[in-house]
Amino acid sequence: MTFAHILPRAFFIFCENTWPGSYLVKSQWGFAIVETFHIMALGMLLGTLAIVDIRLLGFGMRRQTPAQLYNDLAPWTWLGVVLMVCTGVPLFMSEAQRLSASGPFFYKMVFLTLALVTHFTLHRRVTMSGATVGSGLGKLAGCLSLLCWLGVALAGRAIAFI
Amino acid sequence: MSHLLAFATWLNGSAWSIYLREGDWQFPVIETIHILGLGFSVGTIMWLDLRLLGVAMKKTPVTDVLEQLEPWAIGGFSVMFVSGFLLLLSEPLKCYTTLAFRLKAIMLILAGLNVLYFHRKVMFNMQDWDRNMPWRAKMVGGLSLFLWLGIVIAGRWTAYF
Repeated sequence: MTFAHILPRAFFIFCENTWPGSYLVKSQWGFAIVETFHIMALGMLLGTLAIVDIRLLGFGMRRQTPAQLYNDLAPWTWLGVVLMVCTGVPLFMSEAQRLSASGPFFYKMVFLTLALVTHFTLHRRVTMSGATVGSGLGKLAGCLSLLCWLGVALAGRAIAFI
Repeated sequence: MSHLLAFATWLNGSAWSIYLREGDWQFPVIETIHILGLGFSVGTIMWLDLRLLGVAMKKTPVTDVLEQLEPWAIGGFSVMFVSGFLLLLSEPLKCYTTLAFRLKAIMLILAGLNVLYFHRKVMFNMQDWDRNMPWRAKMVGGLSLFLWLGIVIAGRWTAYF
């Protein structure tokens, strides 16, 4: 499955012809520089999420509750998400036509949607209610969140290879 | 011809290197593991650094952050190191000639020395750090953050040359 099956080709051509995509297409080093920031933001985002998720699974920083860790790290998680989106959207626009035919890119977006849905429903509720520390629901939330975000990273990496 | 170049040339022609370089799946699979390791190692090292600098996780005691995150940082780093070694083995000549990779190697060594310095000279009386962070600890944190961001940037740019 790819986005070329869902959206008209004109949309992808429009993306490549619109700033900032159009700028990255022409620029010699623009893409490489934005991609570098994308990777740095990945480290930041995955790191904060992993610390909370690993705690939900009952490992890692066990002297703190998941809620404490979440509160301490949430601003950084969101900064990571914002950085990822602000670098990811221009990167997509600059090669929209190629990505429209890419299977891995489609699944990356599927995993991203699942990750965000999990975060705003199950994950946040379980984390914030301190009572469920080490519960089955907490483990499920940690596991789902880790799997979805790792799926985003794996599919993202696969775009370059498949 | 330098000894290192001679070694890289020999390694480049070895059966292991060719196997890793010319196979269809070897490089992508190892590279993917390397990137996942990055998320866990740099992702945790960064929070140790930012805590030392007093920027992030301020509500959590320094000792709690250091003691509980260090095993994960070391685990992630081991994954990075093994997968990175295999990536290096797959294209030794390319790495030898690429400036970005040379810088990465230097920064990795400096990051290692920084950790050694932290453990030998700085890591004492950590229970007092929540009230008063010593300047050496902040310096180690800042340096580590700078070096690891540099390593990620140089690593990404190794692929562009």
